[in-house]
Amino acid sequence: MRHWLSKRREYSRSAPETESGLGQINGVFTKCRGCKKPVYEEDLKSRFNVCPNCDYHYPISAPERIKLLADPGSFTEMAREMRAENLLSFEGYEGQLEKAREKSGLGEAMVAGRATIGGNPVALAVMDFRFIGGSMGSVVGEKVALTMEAALEEDLPLIIVSSSGGARMQEGIYSLLQLAKTSVELVRYTRERKKPYVSVITDPTFGGVTASFATAADVILAEPGARVGFAGARVIEGATKERLPEGFQTAEFQREHGMVDRIVHRLELREDVRRLLELLA
Amino acid sequence: MILDFERPIKELEDRILELQRLAGESEELQGEIANLQRALETARKRIYLNLTPYQRVQISRHPERPNFRTYVEALTEDFYELSGDRHYGEDVAVSGGFARLKEGGRRVVLVGNDKGRDVKSRVRTNFGMAHPEGYRKLRRLYALAARFGLPIVSLVDTPGAFAGRGAEERGQAWAISEDLLALARSPVPVVSVITGEGGSGGALAMCLADYLGILENSYLSVIAPESCASIIFRDPSRAEEAAEAMRITAEDLAEHGIVDEVIPEPLGGAHKDPAPVVEAVGGAIGRALERLEGTDPSALFEMRYRRYRAIGAPKSLEAGRNGHHTSRGRG
Repeated sequence: MRHWLSKRREYSRSAPETESGLGQINGVFTKCRGCKKPVYEEDLKSRFNVCPNCDYHYPISAPERIKLLADPGSFTEMAREMRAENLLSFEGYEGQLEKAREKSGLGEAMVAGRATIGGNPVALAVMDFRFIGGSMGSVVGEKVALTMEAALEEDLPLIIVSSSGGARMQEGIYSLLQLAKTSVELVRYTRERKKPYVSVITDPTFGGVTASFATAADVILAEPGARVGFAGARVIEGATKERLPEGFQTAEFQREHGMVDRIVHRLELREDVRRLLELLA
Repeated sequence: MILDFERPIKELEDRILELQRLAGESEELQGEIANLQRALETARKRIYLNLTPYQRVQISRHPERPNFRTYVEALTEDFYELSGDRHYGEDVAVSGGFARLKEGGRRVVLVGNDKGRDVKSRVRTNFGMAHPEGYRKLRRLYALAARFGLPIVSLVDTPGAFAGRGAEERGQAWAISEDLLALARSPVPVVSVITGEGGSGGALAMCLADYLGILENSYLSVIAPESCASIIFRDPSRAEEAAEAMRITAEDLAEHGIVDEVIPEPLGGAHKDPAPVVEAVGGAIGRALERLEGTDPSALFEMRYRRYRAIGAPKSLEAGRNGHHTSRGRG
């Protein structure tokens, strides 16, 4: 039983509590989750939270991701002030929102706007897992739709970077319907424009986000080791008692099963996307 | 099958039956029976007219509730069922094919979840929880509907897409997102009724529609109330509260403008008297098809786009959209 529990732990990395996404930090260095060697905070930071020894990809915030992906100074944010409301008066939701805003310094689990990548203009939306597990409520759905609208109106390629536990339960039916909202918007874009939609999937991406816009792209990229799927491993183990194979639902597993196109190292992402844009846009 | 909250009704019914056996000519007992019958009527009204959201969820899952086969038998002249996703397998959690409806003789592509009635058939159909094969079969059927210009009619009754190893290995999320896009761009009308359970993305992949009806005791929810309780309240026994909090009932959905019509059920649920419910569903589908018939594909898409682009967007989002047309300075 104990053995099984410890096995399970690797499927349930907890949400990052610190900027670098590392659990226990003594300020200077920490033991890497990948290679177990000590890693200096500074070294991690300078490599966008990728371990210098073993290339383990820790989570990064949306602003950091934008810094990594967009040309310096090219990003302009849209709908920055958009805030979720407790539409259904769900118990404790306002407090969670408050805490998430404080913790992340963001208004919501998604930052959306326009940028250039290697000089190519794009519409860009990036999710932030620190904000209530990157869950998709009305604001996230609306920002996805607005990003797609901007791409449609200005004839831009569309890039969405996902990391999400799925739909946000606290907004009940409104969260579920974001799947429909983003789908109709995406169809409008692909009907009228010939620019690529690139989905970049990062750890972890599950549920309603994977079951809608994150997998509905022309090209799907994923970060090494990122867990992506419909239902989480814990849910599956709880429901079916199936033994899950080593590496289940990792980006590598998904590519083997034909579900993602490329696994792209974080530090090569900008260049990889630039190449694709120049081939297609 | 008796649901927990129906026990008081059941007990009264049993006592009346017993007394009726004993009564014979006894005046006294006849009087007692009449009293009990009044009490039974009161109990029925008290319970059935004040159903909590979670009680409605239980009714929506009732094994005797009219299911896909019931509707097929009652509403179609012919149902020519198709099988398979042409990739991997045949998933009996989802059924579909070409159909001719009795009402108006309309030809449609009909899809739905066939949960079965007893333990054996429910296990066989995986309780209406589809694997990716089921969603890819739907995708095929949606494509056939487009090709032959037949409207899509769906009868939704699923707790949700199946969560399992095989389902993940074969791209459950990918299969669902494809269905959502296929319905979003469908050149033919999409008419849906949630007849039983409407569980999450797995249900939405069948009812992103131009007309969405729902039976009075059916629900549509982002997640099963039991799972929501486990995750949010860390206590699965608080499913009652979760069902309340998420606004999942037909009445809630109508109030929030998410469904077009609530189809009434008899006191205690559709299984108490299925025939009029099945007929009402047929009528609702017929009216919707009549209204949407002959709408050209781009008008259909515009309508569908407006419907879902606006839905689930709180008014306050408008305020945040001011930032939409920001000047594009070189920040």
